[in-house]
Amino acid sequence: MKAPTERFLREKREESILSRLLKLICSVRLGVGLLIALGLACFIGMLVMQQNVDGFDRYFAELTPSQRLVYGSLGLFDIYHAWYFNALLALLSLNIVLASIDRFPKTWLFVSKPNVTVPIRWLRDQRSSSSLEVPGDRGEIAASIAAEMKNAGWKKTVVSEKAGKTFVFAESGLWNRFGYLAVHVSLLTIFFGGFLTAQLGSTGQMPIAPGETSNLTLDTVVELDQAHQITKQLPFEIICTDIQQKLIRQDGPITVGNTIDWLTYFQIKDETGTHEAFVQMNKPFDYRGYRFFQASFTPIGRARNITVRLTPEAGGPIEDIVIPRDGSVTLADGNMIRFSEFRGNFSIGREDPNEDTSAYPNPGAILQVFQPGQPPVTAYAFGPKLANMPVAKKPVAGYGYQLIDFEKAPDRHVLAVQRDPGSNVVYVGFLMLFITLVGVFFFSHQRVWAAIEKNADGINEVTLAGNTNRSQNTFDEKFSQFVKSLQRQEHGESV
Amino acid sequence: MNQEVLNQPVLVSDENIPADGQSSNWWSYAPFLIAIFGAILLLLAKVVVGGDRFISDGALMMLALASYLIAAVFFLTNFYAPFKFAESLGLWAAMLGVFFNLSSWLVRWAAAYDRELAIFTNQGNSASDMPWIFRYVPFANLYDLSLAFAFGAGVTTLLVMRRHQFRLVAALSLPLAAIILVLARFIGSEFIDLPPVLDSYWRPIHVGIASLSYGVALVCFAVAVLYLLKDGLKVEKMAVWTSIFALSVFATISKFSVFNPSSFGTYTASTFVGESRMSLALRADIPYVGWLLVCAAALMIGGIFAFASYFSRNDDKMRVFGNRLMQAALIVQAAGIGVLVYQIKTIQYVVDHISTSQYERFGVWMLQQEDVPQAQINLMGSQQLFDISSKWITENASRLHLSLNANPVELAALITAFAGTFFIVLFSFKTDKIREALPSAETLDGLMYKLAGVAFAGLALLLMTGAVWANESWGRYWGWDAKETGALVAWLTYAGFLHSRIAYGWKGRRSAYFAIIAFLFVIFTYLGVSYLLPGLHSYA
Repeated sequence: MKAPTERFLREKREESILSRLLKLICSVRLGVGLLIALGLACFIGMLVMQQNVDGFDRYFAELTPSQRLVYGSLGLFDIYHAWYFNALLALLSLNIVLASIDRFPKTWLFVSKPNVTVPIRWLRDQRSSSSLEVPGDRGEIAASIAAEMKNAGWKKTVVSEKAGKTFVFAESGLWNRFGYLAVHVSLLTIFFGGFLTAQLGSTGQMPIAPGETSNLTLDTVVELDQAHQITKQLPFEIICTDIQQKLIRQDGPITVGNTIDWLTYFQIKDETGTHEAFVQMNKPFDYRGYRFFQASFTPIGRARNITVRLTPEAGGPIEDIVIPRDGSVTLADGNMIRFSEFRGNFSIGREDPNEDTSAYPNPGAILQVFQPGQPPVTAYAFGPKLANMPVAKKPVAGYGYQLIDFEKAPDRHVLAVQRDPGSNVVYVGFLMLFITLVGVFFFSHQRVWAAIEKNADGINEVTLAGNTNRSQNTFDEKFSQFVKSLQRQEHGESV
Repeated sequence: MNQEVLNQPVLVSDENIPADGQSSNWWSYAPFLIAIFGAILLLLAKVVVGGDRFISDGALMMLALASYLIAAVFFLTNFYAPFKFAESLGLWAAMLGVFFNLSSWLVRWAAAYDRELAIFTNQGNSASDMPWIFRYVPFANLYDLSLAFAFGAGVTTLLVMRRHQFRLVAALSLPLAAIILVLARFIGSEFIDLPPVLDSYWRPIHVGIASLSYGVALVCFAVAVLYLLKDGLKVEKMAVWTSIFALSVFATISKFSVFNPSSFGTYTASTFVGESRMSLALRADIPYVGWLLVCAAALMIGGIFAFASYFSRNDDKMRVFGNRLMQAALIVQAAGIGVLVYQIKTIQYVVDHISTSQYERFGVWMLQQEDVPQAQINLMGSQQLFDISSKWITENASRLHLSLNANPVELAALITAFAGTFFIVLFSFKTDKIREALPSAETLDGLMYKLAGVAFAGLALLLMTGAVWANESWGRYWGWDAKETGALVAWLTYAGFLHSRIAYGWKGRRSAYFAIIAFLFVIFTYLGVSYLLPGLHSYA
């Protein structure tokens, strides 16, 4: 026993560094180690708040200077983009590729050289094993066993002779041996998709209100507690035509909690023409490799349309008109009323952009009235709370104006504009991974053997055995049924 | 055939052929099918009959909780005194638990629809404008997820119990499912207005997969613990680990106050104001609880030392002494939880129990809730913050109150620590008899492998569906959000479990340790992320 050990050690010493390195990189040991290291890094990333998460500035402010220094220098505030995290991913990818290459020849042997004939002793050592004594012609017995194997689900059968023994071999689910390869290819596909996203993808936000046109997106770049925005240009123009916020409680505020959905109607204009587009929550719109999402909104109280009651100054029938945002209505007398502005909390003078008007405490609309041949004049329409203001009672262009109703809408919607050439690749990887996992865990490669030889009494002794690469208990039961059916068959024949 | 000779007993041990023959026929699915179809029938009854007098989802949840506990008691007694009738009763109680659990979830679905329909019609809207029914699938918050998680664990247990030999798994998995329901009870069953981003058909798919995968992971964890027991791992070693877990719980709850030298022996509970369901960053001292926890901790530390002595010197007296200490710790923990619940229910004027040392910090918290920029808060002096806080507390003193719902994770953690000690005390009693009652280690290992495989596939699906949904809603399929990262870490752990098994042939204890760690990550993802870490999944 000494000589082989020495030879082994000598061969190991003579192995080149490159060869040893390659062995290490393609080892399962490294793969499991990398999985653990990645898991640990992810766990740290969960515990240490990442700089792109809302509230990071508060978290950062509460850390001690030494914590900031240590976490910062280790890249823990943005661990998922740290060089060592990427290195771990790259090394894992390499490990997966090399491990697949390394294991493939061994796996291919199941296809190229299936163990059709095996030593009887090995068969007896299998967990699922049994033996029978069967009289009759050996060829007929082999054919009968092969048929029974097929009945049991081991479709691929081979009958062969070796050293005076007849072997019947059958198997099913051979492809399952290649499951690991499919899992590895799926994971690499997902990693590749992620790489494409990181390298070629872009993201940005576009705040837009009805009537506005833009071809610019804003991308927020965060560095610790500092954030700055980068402007990017799209190869087409976006023209917002309408925004709508569907509320649960119509009398409630335009907050997230009271919202069913946000809808944005817009047009895309480029050299090919003008195209209608529409997005809402969870329903993005795709155009030329760009995807538009409903991202957020500016919760300043506006109105999508207003219903104004016109009371003629000179008497006469009262009329209710509905005017859409930035729209106008022409009256029978030729006057045109334009809806130019709406405030959720009306006050004379400039609007405070920081004021929370999402609850519409004092709604009011500013109108422009165009009389034929005269310059436009401003009129105000208020709800019941402000109806007693002097300006509310003052007739303009022959009418008194009262705000009867309005459809609440925010000041503007924010669309996320994303270009992600990697997402479809990732989806393909997901699909492959799902199919593969189902294949790998819910199916197995099962092999069964029957070796027939004459014993000392000249009777055919049949040694039956089988094994599986997965689901041992299920296989045991199946094998048990197979043996029982053989026993029944033999019993039936003898009767 | 002249004569047949079997060299070995044919392949299948007695364990694989159950005595009652229920493993392979359709009848073994009966409890599962009855529970599922029964719950669907109850939902139909709710839809047809409806009305406020119909049994509520909360009542059904409590029935599920009781059923799981009753089933667990029957199976636990079967460890010591195997009795077929008790086992059958346990099976049917487990079936009832799953039935009530699923019914609770389904009735909640209908109730959520009715609630929004009432709001909608009160607003003068037509019922025909109501959003699609899947908007109301109860997967909107942590209560819903907990209900479904417990169902996932219950239904997996029921399916595992198809095989007679695995019925005792329920003795451990059902109490764990019950703890999840207790947590749900503490979280509170109030409906929320669904954030629009969650109004997607991906939500039931994604969260449904999450809850079922978590349930499978829970049962896998239970099997892993039973495997370790069967494999001969000393109960005393388990006691050391459960004591470390309990000590960690005592150390971290109540904002680390129990063992903190400056507030040693103090336990504080979060407060609510008025009808608000958001707990304040203002904690009230709950007398005696902290000291009871300190006492339990001291007993456990004593137990750990006693067991360490037993391990090193094989001194059986120390083993017995350690077990006595664990029994005492169990009683003290029970007293601590009892006193805590009693006082939360009975303390009237909460302000008397609030230390003024919290005022400054509470002032900061209040300003943060009002979205005051951090830079502006930093400029404020301590006295100013104290005054803001003091003024608010004085004004709202009569509206401040305590509630079991204010500290759901803490209470659930205390109950879990108690349950851990309970099982240790139980396992230390006639351990050999329990080991004898369990299926073979190899069989348990096989079951653990299957469950880990399903949990792995489930978590993979969870990550995939989450990625697709995220891409539809947020414009990126992966964003390293805490919850998705947590699920990834749990998935990687199961990957490590399976990989090491396939490639190294790691089985048995090593696999069991992997299964236990993976489940801890699942729990961290389920609870820790929602309550401790910020992110896009903070709602659930």
